[in-house]
Amino acid sequence: MIRIHEFDGADEPGLDRELRAALSVLDPESRDPNYWLRFRWWVMSGAAGELARRRQAVSLTVGDVLESWARALLPTAALVAAVASMLLLRAEEPSNDFQPLVVEELLLSEVGGGVVPIDASALTFAAEIF
Amino acid sequence: MNTSEMPSDGELVRRARKGEELAFGMLVRRYQRPAYAVALGVTGRHEDAEDAAQESFLVALDRLDECRSPERFGGWLMTIVRNRSKNLVRRESLRETDELPLGARSRVPTPDRVTEAAELRGLLREALQGLPEVQRQVVLLHDLEGWKHREIAERLDLPCGTVRSHLHFARKALRAALRAVPGMPDLMRVAQ
Repeated sequence: MIRIHEFDGADEPGLDRELRAALSVLDPESRDPNYWLRFRWWVMSGAAGELARRRQAVSLTVGDVLESWARALLPTAALVAAVASMLLLRAEEPSNDFQPLVVEELLLSEVGGGVVPIDASALTFAAEIF
Repeated sequence: MNTSEMPSDGELVRRARKGEELAFGMLVRRYQRPAYAVALGVTGRHEDAEDAAQESFLVALDRLDECRSPERFGGWLMTIVRNRSKNLVRRESLRETDELPLGARSRVPTPDRVTEAAELRGLLREALQGLPEVQRQVVLLHDLEGWKHREIAERLDLPCGTVRSHLHFARKALRAALRAVPGMPDLMRVAQ
């Protein structure tokens, strides 16, 4: 006869052994001792792809992302450095063509021919005006 | 292994998020039986419970980043299991509208029922089907999986008093159903 265990209101009433024994036949392991092993194998097989994707995502955030940045940044930085160093070298190089000129020399250097003669009529005209 | 040495759910979830196979495997091992019990409580059939429980782990892994409290992974997983199981039952009922009801099905002689244990299994399934869904889940988690009231309350998101009450009524109903079956003590000996 099944023993009746009435609810005693205790905080954690013990297991009903007979009922538990009866319910244990619902555990798939009672029919197949390897059931839970196969269950886990099935789940892990199904999860393999997603776990691999997650592993790859983690390694991407650390290594691959830095590498992809480096792949774009390094050539640009190298080019900028090369251009900058060329400009610096050119700026520092003393020019052989450079000759300091005074203002008078600059003005006269472009004037060709001789001195224009000034006659008396031109002076008279200037005197009338001013 | 000492319980204190066991990694917490939170730690395992964080490691599984990074794709660590061992951590996810430990979560599966820890929750495979409760997940099956909850699924069985909803579907009432071994095959459906198995499908729902297995699929729930895969869904949980896909959505692991949405688990806002990794320490409460168990409760979060049980919600997924319940929803998957309900969806499965809904789909099955739409597909097999003309199939025999559970009680009638269990009386059909099948190779499974040639042993007394199989007979007891059928009777229990019938008796469980007579219980409300939440009572099935509570009694299976408590008396089959050995979870404590507090754990069930946390993971099924129920007050502790409600869990105790559900367990009381579920046990009472199950005992009454099993007691009504002639030759039940012999079957109980088979189970023990």
